[in-house]
Amino acid sequence: MLLILKVTFNWKWRYGQNRGNMRKYLFIYKTTLMETLQYLINIFLGFISFFLIIFVFLNLWQYIYSDSSNLIDGYSMSQMVWYVILTEIMWFGNRNAMLTNQISNDIKSGSIAYGLNKPYNYLYYTIAKHFGDVTIKLFLYLFVGIIMGLIFAGRLPNFQFRNLPFIAITFLLGLFVNALIRIAISISSFWIEDAKPIHWMYDKLILVIGTLFPVEMFPIWLQPFIKCSPIFVITYGPAKLIIDFSMEMFLSVVFAQVIYIVIVVSILTVLYQKGVKRLNVNGG
Amino acid sequence: MEQRMIIQAQNLSKTFRVKEKRKGLRGSLRSIVKPSYKEIKAVEDISFHIAEGEIIAFIGPNGAGKSTTIKMLTGILYPSGGEAMVDDINPCKKRKQLAYKIGTVFGQKEQLWTHLTPYDNFKFFGAVYDIAEKEVEARIEELKSTFELSEFINTPVRNLSLGQRIRCEIVASLIHKPKILFLDEPTIGLDPVVKENIRTLIKKMNKDYGMTVFLTSHDVGDIEKLCKRIIIVNHGKIVLDDSMEKVKYHYLDKKIIEIKMKEEMALPRIEGVTVLKSKGVNLKIEVDTKIISIQEVLKWLDTDNLMDITISNVPLESIITQIYKERS
Repeated sequence: MLLILKVTFNWKWRYGQNRGNMRKYLFIYKTTLMETLQYLINIFLGFISFFLIIFVFLNLWQYIYSDSSNLIDGYSMSQMVWYVILTEIMWFGNRNAMLTNQISNDIKSGSIAYGLNKPYNYLYYTIAKHFGDVTIKLFLYLFVGIIMGLIFAGRLPNFQFRNLPFIAITFLLGLFVNALIRIAISISSFWIEDAKPIHWMYDKLILVIGTLFPVEMFPIWLQPFIKCSPIFVITYGPAKLIIDFSMEMFLSVVFAQVIYIVIVVSILTVLYQKGVKRLNVNGG
Repeated sequence: MEQRMIIQAQNLSKTFRVKEKRKGLRGSLRSIVKPSYKEIKAVEDISFHIAEGEIIAFIGPNGAGKSTTIKMLTGILYPSGGEAMVDDINPCKKRKQLAYKIGTVFGQKEQLWTHLTPYDNFKFFGAVYDIAEKEVEARIEELKSTFELSEFINTPVRNLSLGQRIRCEIVASLIHKPKILFLDEPTIGLDPVVKENIRTLIKKMNKDYGMTVFLTSHDVGDIEKLCKRIIIVNHGKIVLDDSMEKVKYHYLDKKIIEIKMKEEMALPRIEGVTVLKSKGVNLKIEVDTKIISIQEVLKWLDTDNLMDITISNVPLESIITQIYKERS
């Protein structure tokens, strides 16, 4: 009995503490969200390249699908256009200069020091801040993207609302994995002079292979590699589920996402702990 | 009663390894193949103790190792040698735990969110330090009146003047009632009135809450008005650790005499007297009283020729400059 009491007490104490912790990161999320409302204009400027890509691909697919009832690699024209729109939403909506530039700059300039002497975990802080930064942007892209899809490609034939919760899970996990990979690349600034080239390569890899064409369009021998790459968990998986949902596909995407999270988080933790120890702060 | 030592540094050292670039294109190419590193000893074997409730000035010329020491004491940098204890916590082992007990203000870095108002910022820091909503409100209210923030507490930080911003920075670092406040050049770039205001507030915090203050500054006014004890570092080593009174007293054997005369008069060379400035009827001399007394010096002057005379101590600024020069 005593043991049970002790365990419950411990659990409660811990739970209480975690709740306190959660409140902290929710507050960071909320505060960032408040801050982004100050510069909505920047978000609208980002729409220009979004529109441009979708416009180009809409025309391209309309040209290639001479007959709209054709299927190419199993995709109808409407599915193909939706695929591009959805992956672009995930891509543009989740972009954040904080992840790609600011963390590296903070490490290089030593400003990261001022995030270290606060009672929060810098990595959690970054993630909370990132999602605070992109929430509004994501909703705007979703809204505009869906309207564009409905106008140019019509309703998705196989889409059912009851699948939405499953889709939402993979969608969010995809955004999460992407953010984690970005942070891991930026954290490498502890060792390398400039993390920008790595960000650039990652950026182009996802943009070209992961958003513009479905994986099925690439050569057969390349497809297994792509399915093991982050593309599968970040853009292809969630988009494919919206276009053509199956429980089997959902489980394999979520499984891959969880594996990705475990791996990237482990790498990140090690990199971060080692990095902080070698931190050189200038201007002392 | 014996005072409790809240900050203890024992043989603290920090060495940075910096990549060294060789000269020219050939050198650059060679550096790629075989990089060479230079070791820089930013802090070397520093030991000191600070008692609870003290206000201490930690000063030295640029690059002396002041900020590096602060960063080791706050857990930001890992020392290469020695050990620090701050309120019985080892900063680099339990950084997060320590964070609840200390407040930091770095005059040259912003920790506030510039697009938000001070009020939202304070609420944010309250949440970060796990303080209950009601308590945060009460604390903000209290600090708002002490620091006179009511006028701009709802103006975004980016629109505040530097003086207002620094006041908010200090308040933000006090939200969680820290036991120790680390101030790294808090009055840099401020006008004299605001400086004075900030000093009064720091003193008040120390008096009312018994808060220990660890201050680095290049501003002699800050040090003179706030601190009873002074630690001077140069080239990563402590060159002086003494009470302000003693520092001044030690150099009090030097006096400055400013004289205005009716007619121009040349002073003969006297041992122990240095002419600092001589322009027409105005004369400024420094007298080393260990060699010659003031009385003796005055004998040399023709009292009928005197219009005005001022005898003063050597200003702290000159004392510090002299210490930098002497002991490096």
